[in-house]
Amino acid sequence: MQAGIGTEHDLLLQQKKKNLNRKRVDTWLLLIPTLGIFIFFFLLPLFFLFITSFKTFDASTGIGNEWTLQNYIKFMSDPFYLGVVWRTVKIALLTTLITIIISYPVAFQISRSKGRARNYLTLLVLSPLLISMVIRCYGWVILLNNNGVVNNTLLKLGWIDQPLTLLYTELGVVIGMVHVLFPYMVLSIMGSLEKIDHSVIRASQNLGASSFRTFFSILLPLTLPGVFAGSVMVFSLSVSSFVTPAILGGPQVKVMSYLTYEQVAVMLNWPYGGAIGFLLILIATITIIAYSKILARSEKGVAIQ
Amino acid sequence: MRKNLPKFFFNFVCFLVYVFLLAPIVVVLLSSLTTTEYIVFPPKGLTLRWYTELIEHPEFMQSFTLSIIVAFGTAAISTAIGTLASIAVVRRQFKGKTAIVQLVGSPLLIPSVVFGVALLQFYSWIGLAASPLALILGHIILTVPFVMRLVVASLVGFDRSIEQAALNLGAGPIKVFYQITLPIIKSGVIAGAIFAFITSFDDLTVALFIVSTDVVTLPVRIYTYMQYQYDPIITSVSSIMILFTVILMLVIERILGVGKVFSSKN
Repeated sequence: MQAGIGTEHDLLLQQKKKNLNRKRVDTWLLLIPTLGIFIFFFLLPLFFLFITSFKTFDASTGIGNEWTLQNYIKFMSDPFYLGVVWRTVKIALLTTLITIIISYPVAFQISRSKGRARNYLTLLVLSPLLISMVIRCYGWVILLNNNGVVNNTLLKLGWIDQPLTLLYTELGVVIGMVHVLFPYMVLSIMGSLEKIDHSVIRASQNLGASSFRTFFSILLPLTLPGVFAGSVMVFSLSVSSFVTPAILGGPQVKVMSYLTYEQVAVMLNWPYGGAIGFLLILIATITIIAYSKILARSEKGVAIQ
Repeated sequence: MRKNLPKFFFNFVCFLVYVFLLAPIVVVLLSSLTTTEYIVFPPKGLTLRWYTELIEHPEFMQSFTLSIIVAFGTAAISTAIGTLASIAVVRRQFKGKTAIVQLVGSPLLIPSVVFGVALLQFYSWIGLAASPLALILGHIILTVPFVMRLVVASLVGFDRSIEQAALNLGAGPIKVFYQITLPIIKSGVIAGAIFAFITSFDDLTVALFIVSTDVVTLPVRIYTYMQYQYDPIITSVSSIMILFTVILMLVIERILGVGKVFSSKN
């Protein structure tokens, strides 16, 4: 009798094990397509480029045979290239800051609206995301031109005597970048605004707090996680973006992504282009990790409140 | 009255932001109608000349078709494989899960320029020439992170007892997937597909490295054209692209409700 129970128990165990094995097999079946493509067309190419970045430059073939650290040393010891790094980070920081400021009211308005109006406002905010980045930047070229709309309007209003140089400047790049990355911030802030219980806001108003006070002591602290998440996203996309700086900045406002492109496509110096590319990855990753660490800490602070 | 003033100011600020958002798009649309030989805003006179002149530039139409093919291919493949991988990530426990999640998410951190350079070098080594397939493979890498994010989000709040019920009632796992799982995570999957389509259709950075003289996507075509010329042809091509996107979005909105699809993102 005891033996009988034993075998039944064993049988159950065996079946469980079999199920587990089958599950393990189909887990890998689910993963293999994605994993395969990522290993072959993402990891391997990047790995090879990494190796290339330690090679010498050869004028005829692009990539020489000798190993060297010169590509990295050259970049990090030249004030011109370090200036490019600083410009890249500066543009990303400005973009993030401006995006937060202009996204917040819009996210708030959408989260308060209902039904049709809400759908249309969402669509309006997301529309830049849906329309080709090249075209949007092109629109800014037309707007920011020396005899473009912005300059003509300012001249007519008498606010300036001479057209401002906006195109092919850092300011122009920032304007375009804010436009491109705005939807990410709005979506992120909306996400945390929607989690807020509106009775909290009403309570604060009923207790006599001004809108100003309600915003700074209730709304803003509660939505900080969304603002932070959006900032990380906007910052990282901005550091690595190529299209906007290429069209609105061009060779006059060189950022790291443009430098990488230029070295490879124009100079045909693959090793150096690769080295700049990996330094860009390094900078982006370090800043994002640092950023996320700080954010994680302050997010805890918010949670305690 | 005192209460309405801040509200008015608030709405005005929002209005300005909306103007900022639409400005470059409106400018492109309107300046495509100018009668002048150069781009000017506001347009001088109204004409459709720059649209008819497109007939003399068949290369734009070729690029448009190529971009559509690549975007469809990318959206189909990356939604399919991304959804499968999301299911594994959300529901299964396995070794190296964190590493895999990080690997699949990393294209969001790796600048596309660097990826484009790496891919070009890799393609030339393995001898893969510029083709729709070469572009699709690159775009899959760019879009799978988005697809997985959206699908994972819709899988996380999933009540699995419904699936269990179907299984107990004798449905096979594949039937359960098609009849129960997929309809429930539908909004995430569709949002993922739309995102993938748009990202691929819009991509300049990676395509710029992969294209050849015969295989050129529309964003690359526009980018290279405007390096050398500044005539309204570009604005008319761009306007057609904008109209195409608007029509596409209206159709999707009619079928699904865009607001719904995108609000599922959070």
